[in-house]
Amino acid sequence: MKVVGARLPRYDGIGHVTGRTRYVDDVRVPGMLWAKALRSPVDHAGIRVDTSAAARIRGVHAVVTHEDVPRNVYGHLEALGIPGDEPLFAEDVVRYKGQPIALVAAEDEDLAAEAVEAIRVDYDERPALFDIRKAADTDAPKVHHWGNWYPHFEGEMDRRQIRKGDVDRAFDQADVIVSGVYRPAAIEHCPIEPQTGLAVPEPDGRLTIYSVTQALYFSMGVVAAHLEWPLNKLKFVGGTVGGGFGGKVDTAADTPAALAALKSGRPVKWRWTREEELLCSSTRAPWHMEIADAVTSDGWILGRRMLTLHDSGAYARFSPYGLTKHSFHHTGAYTIPNLHFDGYVVFTNRVPTTAMRGFGVTGLSFATELHVSRIANVLGIDPFELRLKNANRIGDTSPNRIALPDPSTVPTILDIADALGHELPAEYRTMTRDRRDGELLPEHLVAQLASTEEAH
Amino acid sequence: MHLIVNGVEREVDSAPLTPLLHVLREELGITSPKAGCQQGGCGSCTVLVGGEPRRSCLLAVATCEGFEVTTVEGLGTPERLAPLQAAFHEQYGAQCGFCTPGMLMASHALLERTPSPSRRDIESALAGHLCRCTGYVKIIAAVEAAARGDVASDQREPSLADADPSEPDVLIPGSPA
Repeated sequence: MKVVGARLPRYDGIGHVTGRTRYVDDVRVPGMLWAKALRSPVDHAGIRVDTSAAARIRGVHAVVTHEDVPRNVYGHLEALGIPGDEPLFAEDVVRYKGQPIALVAAEDEDLAAEAVEAIRVDYDERPALFDIRKAADTDAPKVHHWGNWYPHFEGEMDRRQIRKGDVDRAFDQADVIVSGVYRPAAIEHCPIEPQTGLAVPEPDGRLTIYSVTQALYFSMGVVAAHLEWPLNKLKFVGGTVGGGFGGKVDTAADTPAALAALKSGRPVKWRWTREEELLCSSTRAPWHMEIADAVTSDGWILGRRMLTLHDSGAYARFSPYGLTKHSFHHTGAYTIPNLHFDGYVVFTNRVPTTAMRGFGVTGLSFATELHVSRIANVLGIDPFELRLKNANRIGDTSPNRIALPDPSTVPTILDIADALGHELPAEYRTMTRDRRDGELLPEHLVAQLASTEEAH
Repeated sequence: MHLIVNGVEREVDSAPLTPLLHVLREELGITSPKAGCQQGGCGSCTVLVGGEPRRSCLLAVATCEGFEVTTVEGLGTPERLAPLQAAFHEQYGAQCGFCTPGMLMASHALLERTPSPSRRDIESALAGHLCRCTGYVKIIAAVEAAARGDVASDQREPSLADADPSEPDVLIPGSPA
């Protein structure tokens, strides 16, 4: 083993410490124009746009709107069967503050900003929805004409649901029902490098795109889809990302810069300001999670009912995928045999939300861990012992019935107890992740077990 | 107008109120200072003006006339890293690298002024320099290592060729190697 366990230098470290690493904003191309966006100043409105005055300004080389996009509405996850709902540039409606309406490419950034000011937009403001808990109210503002939540889960269900075991029976058998509501907020990724794209028209008709993307081939597909181009007309240059954390999976700057480059025939760089990053780059989704657990007085969690509202912002982007992951993980690191989970991807007039470090799961772990501690508190049981008792073990199955081959809950909890100097009785201190038997295999956990072959 | 940038006198054509950051990046092609926020909030544009760390995004170039301006390009080269640069590399003080130039310049100014800084001195010198990757711990460790002189004398980039030759290569099935 030459690599595992070795202290290896970063392959890009010397470039970083000598200031020579070349980020997209550091690329210089002769004849390059700078772009600025017109973004919606309101949360929800019908719009009419007139760009003619901006286009007449000397030094302005392209004003791009939805009319310039071969395929304006495209979904980032169409390849996974999630239909597109988001326009690259707003057409007749804006659904969040900061939504792009037009992009201007001009000789310099100041002139582009001046031309943005010259674009006329009439805003016919509409009521806006911000609170996912009110999305189903009869008088709630409508974000989309079809409603306020995503309707295209398998079988055209309007929710991601999990049904496992017999949850009604579990609640009948419970000594105590422990309930909790958990509401982690949106988080802005806030990379120090803002979203930046540079598109360069090549003499052979191709486009070279310097991208900050975290997912280069994915972004290539998104640009090609909007342009209705084959992939072989795009050359992507990427791999150097000035911080992403999930926020640069969304292909935000590349396609508009590409369209402006095609329209002007010149290289175009679009670099977002910090205000734009904080106002309208995607964030981690806020969630509303309601959990009710059926528990016995000696600390077994027999069943869980859970409702999750996932705030998708104005468009779906990756949210149906994130909520699906969330549903598969909704018991956390613990085995709960009887489950009833419903999750909704709810639309609001907020910036679309996206992946961030443990997409769909991190905020959920906050909720599940707090909830386990809450149960321990209600029952008066040591929270370490409650965790170890209900911990995932080899042969247990996840909410979506995947056999767990090597779950790490038990050794992790034991390590934490050790690090904190938390005393445990011998029966817990010597616990392992091995298949359940004896006192750790009560009747209610038998049915959820995978067969021996499935769990290795 | 003239600036002395990394020891070289440069003529500048930009308007007097142009931010120094813009002059360095767009006119002189010196791209280590970054446009992270362009409002003095993140520290990624920090350069030394007359030896003092300054946010170049907020500084009109006219106020720098006749001053020495130092950027990371003036600290050392890949072939000959300054000890502080080597320490950032060895201690993993740079992750995505975007904040690193500002961190280096602020740390360099600190060590010039205070060769043996306390942890509090380092935290104070780097206050207002934002990093979203490292959690700062390794950055502070790098400055401490540089101050201690705890930097490998062999600054050649280590490689897998340094590994024990008696150890056989283990290739995954189907490896092109």
